[in-house]
Amino acid sequence: MKSFDLAEPATIEEAVALLDPEDKSVRAIAGGTALMLMMKTRLFQPTRLVSLRRLNGDLRGLRVNQDGGLRIGAMTSLAQLEYSHLVASTYPVLSRALGTLSNIRIRNVATLGGHLAHGDPHMDLPPILMTLGAKVSAVSPRGRRWVDICDLFTGYYETSLIKDELITSVEIAGQPPGVYCWYEKFTARSADDWPTVGVAVRYIVDSGVIRDPRVAVSAATERPMRSAAAEAALTNAPLAPHVLSKAADAAADELEPIADLHGTASYKREMVRVHVRRALEKAAQWRR
Amino acid sequence: MAKIIEPPPKTERQAPPTRQVKRSVRRLESKSKVDGSAEYIHNLTLPGMLYGKIARSSIPHGKILSIDPGAALALEGVYAVITGDDIRRLIPDPYYGPAFHDQPILALDKVRYAGEPVAVALAKDPHVAEEAADLIAVEYEPLEAVFDEVQAAKPGAPIIHDVLKPATTFPDLKHLQGRSGTNVALSAHVRRGDLAQAFKESDYVFEQTFRNGKVIHAPLEPYVTVGEMAGPDGLTIHTASQSPSFVRSEISRLLGWPENRVRVRTAFLGGGFGGKLYIKLEALVAACTLLVRKPVRIALTMEEQFYTITKHGATVRLKTGVRKDGRIVAREVEVWWNGGAYADIGPRVTQKSGLTSSGPYDIENISIESHAVYTNEPPAGALRGFGISQVVWAYESQADVIARALNIDPIDFRRRNILREGRPHATGMPMTDIDIDAILDRLAERMEWNRPFDRGSATIRRGRGIAIGIKSCVAPTTSVAMVNIYGDGSCGICSSTVDMGQGSDTAMAQIAAEILGISTESIRVVHPDTDVTPYDMATLGSRSTYHMGNAVRRAAEDARAQLLRMAATVLKTGEGDLECRDGVIAAHCGARVTFRDLMVARFAMQAGNIIGIGSFIPPYEKPDHETGQSRQITPFWMLGGAGAEIEVDTETGRIHVVKLVNVGDAGSPINPDIVERQLIGAGTMQFGFTVFEEMIFNEGQVVNASFADYKIPGMLDVPDQLSGEMVEVPHRQGPFGAKGVGETGMFCVSPAIGNALYDAVEVRITEMPLTPERVLRALRRAQNRPLGSD
Ligand SMILES: Cc1cc2nc3c(=O)[nH]c(=O)nc-3n(C[C@H](O)[C@H](O)[C@H](O)COP(=O)(O)OP(=O)(O)OC[C@H]3O[C@@H](n4cnc5c(N)ncnc54)[C@H](O)[C@@H]3O)c2cc1C
Repeated sequence: MKSFDLAEPATIEEAVALLDPEDKSVRAIAGGTALMLMMKTRLFQPTRLVSLRRLNGDLRGLRVNQDGGLRIGAMTSLAQLEYSHLVASTYPVLSRALGTLSNIRIRNVATLGGHLAHGDPHMDLPPILMTLGAKVSAVSPRGRRWVDICDLFTGYYETSLIKDELITSVEIAGQPPGVYCWYEKFTARSADDWPTVGVAVRYIVDSGVIRDPRVAVSAATERPMRSAAAEAALTNAPLAPHVLSKAADAAADELEPIADLHGTASYKREMVRVHVRRALEKAAQWRR
Repeated sequence: MAKIIEPPPKTERQAPPTRQVKRSVRRLESKSKVDGSAEYIHNLTLPGMLYGKIARSSIPHGKILSIDPGAALALEGVYAVITGDDIRRLIPDPYYGPAFHDQPILALDKVRYAGEPVAVALAKDPHVAEEAADLIAVEYEPLEAVFDEVQAAKPGAPIIHDVLKPATTFPDLKHLQGRSGTNVALSAHVRRGDLAQAFKESDYVFEQTFRNGKVIHAPLEPYVTVGEMAGPDGLTIHTASQSPSFVRSEISRLLGWPENRVRVRTAFLGGGFGGKLYIKLEALVAACTLLVRKPVRIALTMEEQFYTITKHGATVRLKTGVRKDGRIVAREVEVWWNGGAYADIGPRVTQKSGLTSSGPYDIENISIESHAVYTNEPPAGALRGFGISQVVWAYESQADVIARALNIDPIDFRRRNILREGRPHATGMPMTDIDIDAILDRLAERMEWNRPFDRGSATIRRGRGIAIGIKSCVAPTTSVAMVNIYGDGSCGICSSTVDMGQGSDTAMAQIAAEILGISTESIRVVHPDTDVTPYDMATLGSRSTYHMGNAVRRAAEDARAQLLRMAATVLKTGEGDLECRDGVIAAHCGARVTFRDLMVARFAMQAGNIIGIGSFIPPYEKPDHETGQSRQITPFWMLGGAGAEIEVDTETGRIHVVKLVNVGDAGSPINPDIVERQLIGAGTMQFGFTVFEEMIFNEGQVVNASFADYKIPGMLDVPDQLSGEMVEVPHRQGPFGAKGVGETGMFCVSPAIGNALYDAVEVRITEMPLTPERVLRALRRAQNRPLGSD
């Protein structure tokens, strides 16, 4: 490993000033779990790392917003989310997903900000946040802007964040009472592996009819994505097995899976079909 | 889901409290492993030490045109860059290996796999060394490469070694011949009966080919060696090795030194599993230490393990002739072992696993051909089971095929064919001290084989399967032990058996304690140090309990005989009237004397030593080169069986193992709990190899060389119920009837699961691992709606 500078700024202003939009070898480091993997394989050789460890304020803590949703600081560790009663009561789907998100050693240090900023399509939480509705606060020397989570991921390990922007917090929308949510993680290897396919669903049922459905898939495609076709197949349709199957087929037909170590494209397409359907079914079963 | 990983209730296991063997003594080192005080070489640093980082070949096969260390040497803090040429100046013929002297300490002239060590950068700061290693510029001229073991064995394949130089170190490998113009390092044969005639007379003939991918050992403590000068002309090597005695003799040979100038010591190992055998980093560290005359440490990263040693990939072709009554009458086996670029111990794997590849079956007509093949992949060597799980995968999958075709219950089919006491094995040796029926009985009982079985419904289908397997133990090998009674009467054991987590310290102490009538916990086991502990072939192949156990037994008997002679004088009675019991020597009349009092009586104060020596080398007859026949091919037979109950998700292909029963014949166990843990541990390891572990290669490059991308099973993955079950068949020559059992739990897990898969969904997969995608593809082909690109 080449030697590099490690900066530990105390304020967000200092932190963003230390980042450099022109220089790819300067990056923020939060938990470091993703960065260290890249550094070990020399995929990334930093000249400077800007540690977010000492930052407070907006980057820390969990609180309830006016709409009943949560605002979560970017430096919150995944383990803190996993054990938070507030998260468990507001978004049980998130708490449950965290249990098989890698292992406890990773969850103890990995942060929500790093998890989202990394842009890895294999992450567990992005599809869930995409179905719940969330926005990310991005701060740069030019100020703050809000990025809808659905616009954050632009490609394979690519996000719409500019290199001198930091995620400071994430706001997840409040959910109507009785919402149906599920995250279905399918791994081809160990249970705590990155998913081969991750499917998050969220919908409302109004007198037996599905309203405002959201279906998001990770790991199969080059970035986490909502499936417009599946959502269209569900909207205003009755909550019935054949409807859920049709939506699953629509997602499998619409999305373009890419092959990786977890599976070939054709296998992943099949897994999208199976797990979109299962997620939709389980969301309904779990509600009952 | 709660997991049940428990041995069955311990009712008949209570030995009388005075006995030291057959007692589940707690591991002697437990506390030190919990509080962190246990010694590992991984934690060793020495004053003035340099760290070495290895620059590795980026291509699988090619000529080295030039190595330019300029940029690396220019980096501040770099002490030296060492290449193969530097090593050749110190060691004119720097090739090592237990079977062939084929592996250069650093690549010379040519590289033979991607990841092969080409140069080493040395620096006081490991990060500087790492950066320097990246800066070493190597130019190659690529050569055509070959990766598949069957292709590589064919004429016309690119040749990986121009000439092969047999090592002749080990007596069982003395027959290896120098060869050239081939990638086949060795072919081992077994022939018995009249195969052609037997196939003609068979009612059915089954022929299939089975494959195994490559996996790795994945010890938690990666490979690590530290070298230092010992005076002007001596060398000390601290190394996480399973074979300190071999390391000493091989380093001495390379240097042209007498063995007494090389000292090799080990500590506890953070796992070994066969990876840390023979030479791994030791020759490189020894050479670097001597070149710079400073302490040098090379510790691999987790990622570098993937470029060091692997399990053998293997292709097994199996043709079996069966009579209508379910008797196997003919079996032809051909095995190609993917040995990678250097032979390491592959030829022994080829030979030993080859010779039992017809299975634990009583078959009159047999032909076995087993080929060790070089390829341009990282070298393959021993991995817990020594090739056995690859051949068991083949013959037990096929046993299931045959039993089903003949409509015979799988357990019954095996009963019709198994070897029983006194019957000749394929190699001609009459079977002794075995009871395969007992293993099948236990499997049937624990699997509740005769009870109705829930086959699942909808997309979850349930199935169950069994398998049995056999292994011989490496022979002939030597173990020497010393039992030392100190001036105060306390006792130490000096043995070069390496405790790598298998509990050998505890087992050896139990054996000595039993003989000396003292408590196991009071004994100190001195860890391998070739200046102190006597020779042992290596800690491998489940040989230690039997070989070193016998050596320790003899050493303790020798010490006891000396003590009894002394006591007879002191107590003025005959030796026959005395016994060692409860920490003293007691006469039948009731007189007693402590060991300390004896030492004081002999040496006039608390001083002196009583040293008992024991050595053990079991009988062996070299197999005939053409026929593989031998009257004594192995000191003991290892037998195992496994049963698996699984659920298959027919929409994803994922296998969930509900229950895994691993049965092993441990002879009379020295420590029943440790035996069960070994069976459970091995079962878990082979479970990972069965369901998802696999090194993935692309043109010779390992594409998942890290534990982020190569997954081993965790607690969430292991079977819901997992048990290790002992069958006790006392061995006549084993120490207190014991046999080795470290590998037994590996043998049968894969075919048990594969057979359960067939039972559940009627697809037969012949290639490991049984990944969800592989299973789903097979299912969909069987349903005539194949997945894309199939
Ligand atoms: C062995 C292993 C297994 C894993 N398994 C899973 C799994 O099963 N499922 C899963 O979802 N994930 C898994 N992960 C990924 C894990 O979730 C991520 O590594 C983690 O969430 C990243 O968080 P971090 O704080 O460590 O980020 P870091 O490594 O510190 O940073 C990652 C990236 O984000 C940038 N960054 C960090 N914080 C910010 C910020 N506040 N604003 C802007 N940019 C920022 C960094 O510059 C860097 O580019 C696994 C990781 C490992 C190492």
